[in-house]
Amino acid sequence: MTGLAVIRLVMSREIRQRVRSRGFRITTVLICLGVLGAGILHRSLSGDDSRPRYDVALIGATPAGFSEAVAAAARTLSIDIHITTADRDAAVSAVRSGADDAAVDTTSGTLISESIPPDDLAAALGAGWRSARSRAAARAAGLDDSEITAVLAPSGLQTSVLEPSKPHDDDVGRLVGSAAAVLLFISINAFGGMVLTGVVEEKSTGVVEVLLAHVRAHQLLAGKVFGIGVVAMIQFGAAILTGVVALRISGTTVPSSVWFGLPTTIAWFVVGFVLYSTLYALAGSFVSRQEDAQSAAAPISMMFTAAYLTVFALGGAPYSTVARVVSVLPPFAPLLMPLRISIGAASVVEIVLSAVLLLVATIGMLRLAGAVYGRTLLHRGSRLRWKQALTMKSS
Amino acid sequence: MGVLEVGEVRKRFGDVVALDGVSLSVGSGAIVGFLGPNGAGKSTTMRAVMGLIAIDSGSITWKGAPITAATRRRFGYMPAERGMYPKMTVRDQLVYFARLAGLGSTQAAEAAATWMRRVDISHRADDEVQALSSGNQQRVQLAIALVHDPELLILDEPFSGLDPVAVETMKTILAEELSRGTSVLFSSHQLDLVSDISRDVVIVDAGRVVMEGDVQDLRERSAVRYANVTFAGDTTWAPVLPGAEVIERQARTTRVRVHAGTDVSAVLADASRAGHVVEFSFTPPDLSEVFLSVLDRPSEASAAL
Repeated sequence: MTGLAVIRLVMSREIRQRVRSRGFRITTVLICLGVLGAGILHRSLSGDDSRPRYDVALIGATPAGFSEAVAAAARTLSIDIHITTADRDAAVSAVRSGADDAAVDTTSGTLISESIPPDDLAAALGAGWRSARSRAAARAAGLDDSEITAVLAPSGLQTSVLEPSKPHDDDVGRLVGSAAAVLLFISINAFGGMVLTGVVEEKSTGVVEVLLAHVRAHQLLAGKVFGIGVVAMIQFGAAILTGVVALRISGTTVPSSVWFGLPTTIAWFVVGFVLYSTLYALAGSFVSRQEDAQSAAAPISMMFTAAYLTVFALGGAPYSTVARVVSVLPPFAPLLMPLRISIGAASVVEIVLSAVLLLVATIGMLRLAGAVYGRTLLHRGSRLRWKQALTMKSS
Repeated sequence: MGVLEVGEVRKRFGDVVALDGVSLSVGSGAIVGFLGPNGAGKSTTMRAVMGLIAIDSGSITWKGAPITAATRRRFGYMPAERGMYPKMTVRDQLVYFARLAGLGSTQAAEAAATWMRRVDISHRADDEVQALSSGNQQRVQLAIALVHDPELLILDEPFSGLDPVAVETMKTILAEELSRGTSVLFSSHQLDLVSDISRDVVIVDAGRVVMEGDVQDLRERSAVRYANVTFAGDTTWAPVLPGAEVIERQARTTRVRVHAGTDVSAVLADASRAGHVVEFSFTPPDLSEVFLSVLDRPSEASAAL
């Protein structure tokens, strides 16, 4: 049997056992509900689809170009204005009853409203009115249509972006990036912890003695880390899918940086997970009792929590030099880089550099762990220290 | 020359010498009982054979060649501390270990079913191992060691904690495996069981082999014999034979130790002078007596038993 076949067997046992457990199913459902809730909450807080809509009655003849000019102004102001024609009495009573938000009397040039009209409505109607009046005045002065258009609708202001690589700091990108960081933290914590207790379980039950008769230690390590990694991916994937669905339901416009950010987030997650859970597996192999597991893993948990807190400290300044430097360092990269990518703050050079460093660190960690894991796994008695462990060589 | 050869193996854990030149040999299709007080080095030797510890010096070979990971896949191992996944079902556990030993998925499922039947645990096939009694867990543990039809069985204390029914099952299975040609090395503290099952024993103490060979030979090679005499009525027999020593006396029975060369009829005649003999036996020491005598630390050794 090849080494890969052995690793696959170990992986599939991990996946089957974990996915079958009730704990996994419950947490997955809870996380998805949380993501769905956050997405919908975001929608109602930012009120993206609640573009104000105004009903306006028009009294008298509609001046040429009025409706078009009002519509154009409404678009810029992100409001909808719906215009109907009515006679004066009907219009006034509609405004009084609240059926219409305002009425425009074109004969007298009056805006009728029950109380002071909303600024955006008054601005749009005012712009339309001025445009229609100017058009009429220009025609009266003897200009023809093309001259009128040239006077009234000159070409607009062109935009020139000095730094196109620096897209504007996007709220949705930040939301998605922060959510990803939180999910990554939760996932790596939860599934890294699963790797830790899984290793300690194998040691404390003595099953590792039977396993190592058939399997090399590094195959056991790889199978466990990758198997639980797949389980984590299943949960993480479910959360991301739910997130996409939540954004769709809420009709939020998702910036392109997010669509680029999602797959990279997954890639960062995979590598980050392997890095941290290999460390957790090593720590687990130092102890023989489940009670000692947490203290053995304390240095890793502390480092990881520090990385997480740093992400939130630096997430507010994703373009700062500190954020740029820290986000390429392997222990921080899996959490900070996806956030910066989602915001659109990471340059290609930084992304590549961070990915390469993270990969190198992870492969190095796997090799190191593979070299000492066999010895540490069979070590009996008191807890090993990191220093002792790292000086052990495989048998 | 056996199939398994352990030669002059030494292992030291820090300041503690665990194995001080242990040598033993298991013949093809043979069963060897491995005896010794706690801490003598039995488990360490077995773990060394299974590659679970690296030895400092010496050699361990299988059919004349050093043992590799591939060779070891043809071994079955039952550690002293039981090793199973508590939350896995009996069936899944067996299938998993069968597959790790290289069986395909159909073969593994068949082997699991066969072995659950043989160790009489089929009715608990889909229960988690942690829900089983310790005796039943041990049946599963044995099945794990056997599920891939190994050529060599290394069983560390296979009988400990078993009820008499399970002991019989275990003995039957071992006998069947032996007749199939499997070689077995097993350790035990239950010496009567060992002499029941195996002809050959190796006794270790403090990391050294202190005695080895055929059980019958070892007993007969002993310098003493025991006479057990039962009289018709209460009788106090004080033997007059030179070197005879009363070991144990009850109302009607007396146990006497004499030199190995003593004539049986002389012992019977001596007893008959004391009273009417209704039962008489004259035997070499049993295995546990041999064991205690070679350890030369009777109090400590019997405490360990």
